[in-house]
Amino acid sequence: MQSESARVTTAQEARYRIQYPNSKTRAVKIIALDAPSAQIIDELAKQPWSGATFFRALSFSAESTPGRAGEGLSSWLNDLAGRTLDLVGEVASSDFIVVVSAAGEDARAVSVIADACTAHHKTLVALVVPREGATDADVTASMGHLRPFARMLVIAHDADYIAAMLTALRA
Amino acid sequence: MLRKEQNDYLTQTDPGTPMGDLFRCYWMPALLSEELPEPDCPPVRLKLLGERLIAFRDSEGKLGLIDEFCAHRGVSLWFGRNEECGLRCPYHGWKFDVTGQCVDVPSEPKESGYAQKIKLKSYPLIEKGGVLWTYMGPPEKQPPEPEYEFCTVPLNQTFMTKRIQECNWLQAMEGGIDSSHVSFLHRGDLSNDPLFKGAAGNKYNMQDLSPVFEVVEHDGGLLIGARRNAEDDQYYWRITPWVMPCYTGVPPRGDHPMHGHFWVPIDDHSCWAWSYDYHPTRPLTEGEVAAMKAGKGIHVRYVPGTYRPLANKDNDYLMDRAAQKAGKTFSGIEGIGMQDASLQESMGPICDRTKENLVGTDNGIIMARHRLMRSAKALKEKGVIPPGVDPEHHKVRQAALLLPRDVQYKDGAKEALKAKKGVRQASV
Ligand code: FES
Ligand SMILES: [Fe+2]
Repeated sequence: MQSESARVTTAQEARYRIQYPNSKTRAVKIIALDAPSAQIIDELAKQPWSGATFFRALSFSAESTPGRAGEGLSSWLNDLAGRTLDLVGEVASSDFIVVVSAAGEDARAVSVIADACTAHHKTLVALVVPREGATDADVTASMGHLRPFARMLVIAHDADYIAAMLTALRA
Repeated sequence: MLRKEQNDYLTQTDPGTPMGDLFRCYWMPALLSEELPEPDCPPVRLKLLGERLIAFRDSEGKLGLIDEFCAHRGVSLWFGRNEECGLRCPYHGWKFDVTGQCVDVPSEPKESGYAQKIKLKSYPLIEKGGVLWTYMGPPEKQPPEPEYEFCTVPLNQTFMTKRIQECNWLQAMEGGIDSSHVSFLHRGDLSNDPLFKGAAGNKYNMQDLSPVFEVVEHDGGLLIGARRNAEDDQYYWRITPWVMPCYTGVPPRGDHPMHGHFWVPIDDHSCWAWSYDYHPTRPLTEGEVAAMKAGKGIHVRYVPGTYRPLANKDNDYLMDRAAQKAGKTFSGIEGIGMQDASLQESMGPICDRTKENLVGTDNGIIMARHRLMRSAKALKEKGVIPPGVDPEHHKVRQAALLLPRDVQYKDGAKEALKAKKGVRQASV
């Protein structure tokens, strides 16, 4: 007699996989950490997404690292329309966070975002994207900044990868 | 998730498909040397990338891989007589040499030259490291021979098996780069299997069940690093290389031989899972070879006389619910190879990736798919030779090592990730 495993793994049986949805839309928040990656994100945001929203870290200079001037975390995100948003609130209402950093750029903003992720138990995925003229040392430096904070750190060789990844994650 | 058309694009490898064209850029394992052991031995039927072929070794030991069917009236040459430098069809006696050239049509006078007009499609077949490799692409683009380390070390340092897997190649290959399943599915095998146990590094696997991942591209594919905490401000890194399109390496354990796989499409619904095991600097011990032959490590036991695993879908993979309940095995299936294969076959002949829900730690898989699609597109549109064709790309090693926390593995493990003759693997 044919075993059950043999019977159910045919192409014919694959047709009966039930077609009800098995997940809800997830809120993925993508945050550009620096100016070059913000440019990439601006472009991406023009595509239709189901659960992705795009932000820039508000300031790109090290001097205004939050906490320094007694700034609260609340002033720390900009949406693409330029509105300032409360970082902690955005993280809390997300399912997971993706930060994008261009190789060799200042990625220190990640630490604040990571704190918010830790506080709200959200996974942080970090992507390093190429930048014109960036060296291997730049990539290494970026990875060094991001490593302590990311559950998954990805070095992408093409900026297209962000879109591919977001699609794969149903963002 | 993939859209349906993307899933079709990546999983279909028949002639004329984009991924089929991509696969036809590479040398691929076709048969084990043991399948054609001597001149004039029986021919072997095989199917690769949706093409039915027959392989034989002629009277002079030359290897041939040609169209399975006789050009006269379509008989399978598996029935052929392998004699006097050619395979002779038993129906009307037409004879073909290793290049597929017809050399005798008995019904026609030799002088007529009729036989010269008949030629079966053929592909080169070369022997290296106990494996017969073929290249199924355009002859003018044939790349230099493969240089994977397992096939360049002396034969007593290397061991290869293959098993048929009854599902599409991509879901099988994705298992090879899916580092996050190891802590679940293969739990238990670390401490029991003779080809894994006793390595110092194993304790880090057991202690830290939520590794952190880094995915980096290399020239031939990807490096997927999984990092766990170790003592003294160090991380324990396990680095899995993927060489395009279908070679994966498992990070080593202690001084055990290093292993990994090739996942070669037979057709869209089945593939060959090749499993290599080698040591870069010493012969394999009798005990190791005996364990491999007994189906330990990544190898399997077989239905006698075949390359089909003994535990297969026809016997429900010998599912042992008691062992599952007791935690002896996590899934109830014995052996790493079949633990993987059983689950991958359960996805169906071609996994429906429109239904999947990937997470951030699946980025290795996402990136591999992205690179495959990008490369197939560049090949089709601009004729760009894909990564992994250049034999230099094959000289990558898997590694398991301790690194200071502030050192990134792309730098700290740079040397460890290179295959170097006479240099032991980096492994704890
Ligand atoms: S938990 Fe990964 S496939 Fe089910
Ligand atoms: Fe596995």
